[in-house]
Amino acid sequence: MRQAVAALFGAGFTVSACYAAGTLVIDRLGAALRRDERIPLAFVLGAACLHLLIFAILALHLGYWPVLVCALAAVIGTAVLTGAWRGTGVDSSKPVPPLSWSLRLVFGLCAGAFSIVYLVNAWAPEVSPDGSGYHLGLVARELRDHGFQPITTSLYAMLSQGVEMLYVPAFAIGRHSAAALVHFAFAMALALAILAYGRRIGKPWAGAAGALLTFASPVVGASGSAAYVDVATAAIVFAVFYWTEIWDEQKEMRLLIPVGLLAGYAYAAKYTAFTIGIYALLFVAWRSRRLRPISRSLRPVLLVAGCALIMAGPWMARNWIWYQNPFAPFGSWLFRNPYIHIIFEHDYSANLRTYYMPSLWPLPMELLVRGGATYGIIGPVFLLLPAALVALRYPAGRRLLLAGALVFSTYFANIGTRFLIPCLPFFSLAIGLAFAESVPLLGAMMVFHAVASWPPVMNRYVNLACWRLVRFPYKAALRITPPEKFLMENSYGYAGARLIEEHVPKGEPVLTMTGVADAYTTHEILVSFQSASNQNLAETVNMGWNIEVQPSVQRVFRFEARPARRMRVLQTAQAEYPEQWNVHELRFYYQGKELTRNASWRLRARPNPWEVQFAFDNSLATRWRSEEVAFPGMYLDADFGSEQMVDEVRLITSSDFERIRLRVESMNSANVWENVVENPKLEAATIPSAIRLMAVYEMRERGVRNLLIYDSNYGAAEFAKDPEAWGLKLVARGEDTRLYRTIW
Amino acid sequence: MKRRLAIAVVAVLPEIGCQNMPEPYAPPVQRPAVENFHPYRMQAIVSMSDDDAQTHFVQDLTPLATSTWRWTGQKPTIRLKARTGEDLRYSIDFVLPEANFRETGPVNIAFLVNDRVLDRVHYGSAGDQHFEKPIPEGWVTAGQDITVGAEVDKVTVDPQKGLKLGMVLVRIGITQ
Repeated sequence: MRQAVAALFGAGFTVSACYAAGTLVIDRLGAALRRDERIPLAFVLGAACLHLLIFAILALHLGYWPVLVCALAAVIGTAVLTGAWRGTGVDSSKPVPPLSWSLRLVFGLCAGAFSIVYLVNAWAPEVSPDGSGYHLGLVARELRDHGFQPITTSLYAMLSQGVEMLYVPAFAIGRHSAAALVHFAFAMALALAILAYGRRIGKPWAGAAGALLTFASPVVGASGSAAYVDVATAAIVFAVFYWTEIWDEQKEMRLLIPVGLLAGYAYAAKYTAFTIGIYALLFVAWRSRRLRPISRSLRPVLLVAGCALIMAGPWMARNWIWYQNPFAPFGSWLFRNPYIHIIFEHDYSANLRTYYMPSLWPLPMELLVRGGATYGIIGPVFLLLPAALVALRYPAGRRLLLAGALVFSTYFANIGTRFLIPCLPFFSLAIGLAFAESVPLLGAMMVFHAVASWPPVMNRYVNLACWRLVRFPYKAALRITPPEKFLMENSYGYAGARLIEEHVPKGEPVLTMTGVADAYTTHEILVSFQSASNQNLAETVNMGWNIEVQPSVQRVFRFEARPARRMRVLQTAQAEYPEQWNVHELRFYYQGKELTRNASWRLRARPNPWEVQFAFDNSLATRWRSEEVAFPGMYLDADFGSEQMVDEVRLITSSDFERIRLRVESMNSANVWENVVENPKLEAATIPSAIRLMAVYEMRERGVRNLLIYDSNYGAAEFAKDPEAWGLKLVARGEDTRLYRTIW
Repeated sequence: MKRRLAIAVVAVLPEIGCQNMPEPYAPPVQRPAVENFHPYRMQAIVSMSDDDAQTHFVQDLTPLATSTWRWTGQKPTIRLKARTGEDLRYSIDFVLPEANFRETGPVNIAFLVNDRVLDRVHYGSAGDQHFEKPIPEGWVTAGQDITVGAEVDKVTVDPQKGLKLGMVLVRIGITQ
């Protein structure tokens, strides 16, 4: 029970601090807001400001819970003492008619019921895959380290963590559930903001419909009651829009400050939400276009851009300094770096664009009623989305649809259902506006949506794999059901995390082919695909069983003996996706004797220069890979430091590429490359019997002694059959996992 | 317009060019050659306390046991997999209990690898014993199962169960 109270307190304290920070800014700006719009807008704006404060605390490595608590308490205290908490400018806003009793009844009943379901799910121990994986895994790590550390082994650590910054104090006080409850608060704020916007434009029923369509959407429920960031992003994005509307009405330059701050915060919350910043800039530029002189018309735009940079800039700077790429983990083709392989980014992005669906034609049905492939549905009521175009007859409708379209424009980069959440408020409101003249129709639509989205009803029509709320875990929320029991029964990655926690010596990393619930272990989990170094490790380990990647071919160039100071093997063909150029070893010979590699040699590769040593380490369990589709001009280059006689060059490679064409070149005294020989002779290479041992040896040499294999992983049976052949010992066995440790 | 475009290009180029390309690398530490690849010393010792000890038993290991030792019969033998045939050593820890020794007197024990006698040792007193000796090249083939055992020349008989009792075995196997 103490845990339950701590979770509630941690979340309540963080949410209060967000609200307090927001009220301080709003009061300073002198913005005239009604109370019903002030509450959600202050919370979201305060969240943006607080995120920056927590970023600073972590950057300074002051992330101790007393520091966090004091910082938040100071914000709350200041807001209370200055009167900002209660709001000094509340009464100066334009009055609106009170909500009708019928609206209150329909909206209150529907939204109230969903609120209770969401609250209970958020309060229960965190079991969501990404929430208990990287979102809170990173938060937990930052708290253990008391600040940021460069983490080059997880692409998720490279993403901006705008919302997760708020999870830091919540987690420090109330652990995992507190973070999920903070996200739930964003869901509430979003619904209230949409409702308030409807009143602002004089269409309260449209606002209520928009609020309920978004809030009761099944994917919003699943995400909003877990430690994800999608609903928070939607709230931030909508708040940007809302503040542009307020500015448009009041035309006070200072009201663009929240617009800019929130636009930057949207990027900090989720990269794909940057488009709302474009909307804000375009809208402000359009509205200011007639100001003269021209510098006056530019000033509002620059203010928005500058404020946005305050929020987004720290994340870009962090990424540029640590990961050599301000947009890491994306854009590695432009900002080349050793942490993300270019071909991986290509594959990863391609998967996100399709979710393994052979065609996107079934996508609408997936998003509306099935949800198995894209993990979740927005609800069948959104079949009415085309009707939202009717809202174009209203100025507000046009702005809503434009903002929604811009936010939607990034959706096809990741077609997961939850990536629609940020544009749902706009489209929901537009649907509401389209039917604004027919209150009974709107009421019926709201009730239909509520019924269709109600979890037991949903079970009747969605795909079994659809991500949705399936429980009402009030006993787990109150901790009457022990958290351990609840987690073991409901969290996919928890058992693996516990296995690691119990059997791996403190501080040691674990390599795994499939993720575990990082947030429930103190060990660094190296998931096979999450970074270049993890991929290399996993590939090396899998070299033990995967025949395709084993060193089975020798490509031999023989030529007349010649002196050379520097030689390279040049790749001259254009391959097709996904063919790469791979080299286990590159060796140079004279009269049948290999040239001894020594410290005066200098090795280069193009592309992927960072991993060139894999081709020169004398290990057949490692290989250099181009990590890009092979193109003419790729090379592996060895400078011997002095002139050497060479009459043979030998590459040991795998058999998994065909279109590669190779040529040996030698640099002459004028520093010009000369063609030496082309078309190597192909010979079979003997795969060493100790290849498995070699693979694990490499893993150990890179400081990793523990390997967690799920029974469903490729090659799992090979490890299980004879661990000692790999130099491994079975340490522990879970229901569907095996934990191995190197013997030596 | 052209000027603006040029300025934009100049502004963007340094960013694109600002890639942190590494200096050329020296060759890394060379891994052992394939033919000499022995990353660790093999140790295939079966302790009677091991959970899976019984999976190695071949003969003459009685049910009379505690969590750390087990009575053997006359010729206790276990089976192991040898990952290598090189530089192997036979190793055994056992006890000749005082009570039994009084009955048998001094005993001779033959230490066996694949039923070949590695050595015979005369034990003139009771107590904890350890025996270890290199296994000659060629006795063991890498990757194959081998049997490791011992044979006591004199045994006692358990009056209650009628079992022949040779020695109290603690651990037995091969190391490298």
